Formats: sequence, C-alpha cells, structure tokens
Amino acid sequence: METSRTGAWLALPVYSAVAALCVAPLLILLAYSFFQVSFVEIIKEPTLKNYARIAGSETYRWLILKAFGSGLTISVVTAIIGYPVAWYIAKRVTVMKSAMLTLLLVPLYTGDLVRIFAWRMLLGAEGVLNTFLMWTGAIREPIEALLFSSLATHIVLTYNYLPFMVLGLWLAFEALDDRLLEAASDLGAGKMSAFRRVMLPLTVPGLVAGGMMVFVMVVGDYLTPQLVGGASGITIVSAINDLFGTAFDWPLGSAIAWTMLAILALLFCAAALIVSRSTLGAALTSGEA
Amino acid sequence: MRTSRLPLIWMWMVYGFMYLPVAVIAIFAFNDSELVAFPLQGFTMRWFGQVLGDGRLTGGLGLTFLVSIPVALLSTLLGAMAALALTRYRMPFRGLLLVLVLLPFLIPKVILGVAQLILLSELGIERSLLTIIFGQTIVILPFTTLVIASVLMRIDRRLEEAATDLGASAFSAFRRVTLPLMKNGLLAASFIAFVLSSSEYVLTSLLSGRSQPLSILVASDFRFNMSPALDALALMIVAANLALIVIGELARLRSKS
Repeated sequence: METSRTGAWLALPVYSAVAALCVAPLLILLAYSFFQVSFVEIIKEPTLKNYARIAGSETYRWLILKAFGSGLTISVVTAIIGYPVAWYIAKRVTVMKSAMLTLLLVPLYTGDLVRIFAWRMLLGAEGVLNTFLMWTGAIREPIEALLFSSLATHIVLTYNYLPFMVLGLWLAFEALDDRLLEAASDLGAGKMSAFRRVMLPLTVPGLVAGGMMVFVMVVGDYLTPQLVGGASGITIVSAINDLFGTAFDWPLGSAIAWTMLAILALLFCAAALIVSRSTLGAALTSGEA
Repeated sequence: MRTSRLPLIWMWMVYGFMYLPVAVIAIFAFNDSELVAFPLQGFTMRWFGQVLGDGRLTGGLGLTFLVSIPVALLSTLLGAMAALALTRYRMPFRGLLLVLVLLPFLIPKVILGVAQLILLSELGIERSLLTIIFGQTIVILPFTTLVIASVLMRIDRRLEEAATDLGASAFSAFRRVTLPLMKNGLLAASFIAFVLSSSEYVLTSLLSGRSQPLSILVASDFRFNMSPALDALALMIVAANLALIVIGELARLRSKS
C-alpha cells in the first residue's frame, strides 16, 4: 500500500472539478431559491415566498406527486420484468456472462433523441406497429392511443431504465449463495416458500439499489414525457425548464428544483440505510465485493 | 432438476424488446418509400445520399468532434484519477470521494443544467463550446470512473507490490505495471465518454450558445419530423455509437484475463 499522499494528490483535481461544476452551481441554485423576481430583474433579498408559492399551488403539488408516482410505477414495472432476467444471467448463464449484460446495455448508447425518434416511428398512428398490425389483418383501424399518451410515456420510460434495474438485481443475485436455497428445499420448503422466504429477502438490496437508480432517472427525465407523452407530457422538470426559459422566473424555478432535490436526498438516505444494513451493502462499502 | 423453458422465453422477449427500436431504425433506413410504414417497398440507398449531401449536418458533425473529443479526454483523465484514488490508496474520506464522483449522475440533468446556467450568468461567462465541454465532462465523470475502477479492481495488486519489491519507485511501478494493465480500461472509458457526449442533448442545449453541435442541430428534426432520410441519419448515428461501444467493451472485457 502506498502513502496516502499520492491518493490525496490524485483526488484533488477530482474534488475541484466536482466542487466547481456540480456543488457550486447547486449552492447558487439554493441561494436563488430565496430571491425574487420583479419584471425582468432579480431582487436579491432573502424570502421564503417561492417555497410558500409551491406549497400553495395545486399545480406544482400535483406535478411533484405525478413525478414521484411515475418514478414508483416504473421502478415496480422494471423490477417485475427485470427480476427473472437478472436471475437468469446470474444463475443460468455460464459463458459470456459479461457479454450478456453488455448486450442489454448497448441499446442505451444510441442516444436519447434517436431512441425517442425510433419509438415515435414505432408507436405513431401511421407508424410501424399500427401499419404492421393492419397489414397482417389483426386490426382494421389504427390504434390512435399508442403515441402521445401516458401509456406511450410509460412504455418508453420502462425501455430506457430497465437495464439499470437488471444491473442492480444482478449484483444481488451474484452475491446470493445458492446453498441457502438448497438448504431451504432440503428442509422441506416448496419452491414458492423458498422464493418468498429466502431468495426475495436476500435480493432486497438489489431491488432497492436498482429501484433508486430507476426512480431518480424517471423523475429527472425531461425528453421522454415531452416527446411521446402528448398532452400528458408536462412534468415538474419541464416546468423548471420553462421557468428558466420563456417564463423567466429563475427564483421560483430554483425553489422547485431544490424541493425536488431535498425529497430525492431524503429518499436516498432511507434507501442507503436499507442497503447498508444488508450483507451486500457491507461487502460493497468495505470494498471487498 | 428439470428447469422450465419459461425463463429462457422471457429472456428472448426482453432482449427482443430492447432491440426492437434499433431493428426498426435499421429496416426503414433502406425502405424505398417516403412513408415509414408497412408493408415494405423494396431496397434503396438514396436516403443515405440525401443525408450526406446536407452541408448543415456535416458542419454540425465537425462541432460535435470539437466538443466530444476534449470531453472524452478530460473525463477519462479525471475518471482515471478518481478510480486510482478509490481503488489503490488508503486515504481519508474515501466514501466522500465516491459520493461526490457519483453525485452528478444522481442530479436530474435539467436541474444541474439550470444550476450551471445561473453560475455562468453570475460569473458573467458567455455560453460557448467551452461551457458545453465542462458541463458534459462532469456528468460523464461517473461513467468513466466506474469503467476504469472495474478494470483496476481486477488487476492483481501483487504485481505492483512485486515491482516495488524489486526496486521500482512508486512512479515507475505505476508507469510500467499499472498503466499498461489499465490501458484497455482507459480506451473503453474514453469511447463511452465520446458516445455519451456526442448524443447528450438536455445539458448541451442549456449550455450551448450560438455554436450548435450536431445533437442540437438535428434535435428539432428528430423531435417533430419523421422521414426516411432522418431514419438514415439515425441509423448512421446508431452504427457509429454502437461500433465505438462494442470496441470499447471488447477491450475492457479482454483485460479481464
């Protein structure tokens, strides 16, 4: 082991970059959330009015709730779809395991806009899916509700973040000792009860880790709801974006942003607590994994 | 024990779902029809010709290289430093470093973008290619750090110890043992960073001033239009991105043994 000084010198530029490009901007954002705007001028006197406005506004309260609702929905959906996939890769795939995981992540590198463009081609009223179904004779009229609906948003969000859920679950399955399941069945547990009482509890850290990743990315996703959601596409992050653009109310936008960050931070601490109490978390934080 | 075929069928369905959009892009870029719809009308290359003849796009592509190459180099360098500090050295506040490196990944990009915008306006800095480069570097840093750390964790530490035991200084042990072993990780990280940078939209659009890289130029087309020529462009972007990622991943996985 080398002296700790080299480590500190290596870490210094990283600390500076994160401080200058991430921490400092967020702190200024926090300061702005206490300012006010009058016509086109920003008045730098501390006030809590912005936060009072958010708490008093039904629209913002609803948008915040909606964001967390979608986050939760997509986390659950990706968990249900991804659980068997992660299990299969961890326990049934023997050769090319990393390649299987990589193969799952590769479609994400096509880029947000291209991905959404492809989904619009797929789901549109005169798009690929509708014309395919009409061509084969499965339907007579195109299904209009496919694109520009809340359903479309949820399909594309599931697509976007499923691989992250699989990644989190896969780590948990890799850490799961198969002998525990054998012991359960030796002791007379049926398949269902071995799953419910051994496998599921032991993969909870993976569910929480994957779920948090998916949750935070869904909450912060600006493009997907806007481009495939149609009228349902207004989200809390698009509201923040508007306040910094056309609506020009930076302080209110900052206050909404920090409200979101504060709630996310609270949820993260709770999730970290759950994961760190488990064996997987202990292994990860001690660096032995 | 007889395992049922159900999980395997499920796997095929999920992987099919993940590759469905890619397949659709690939098929309709060669379809000889103005309409992006079934039934298919025959094979053509003319949409590619149409895209390559568009001077506006080639200019945007040039700017993309001007942004994404510096971002790839910078975020790989910082990521290597962070990964080395995290995996190789006993140091105080190791947990804090990990949290700070991952932090930009956890902040929604719109929020980080507007925060950087306020900072720029407070400091009186004009938006330019430089602001895009710095803004992107910080959100890509978590990815490069994790990729390089995953390679470093697999390198046998005893090799470095052997080098120092045999009289190599810490620096020359790094240069002659660690660096050659982590080379593939650096390559993979920089390729991933380049791809993430060239396709980044939200942050780029907030931080770009008058000079607009390809991702911004084509954004409104991709957002609101639909044509086979656009699809041909999408396929070219996808092919370039996936080629880089696959080369990078092959390099990273090869460094395992």
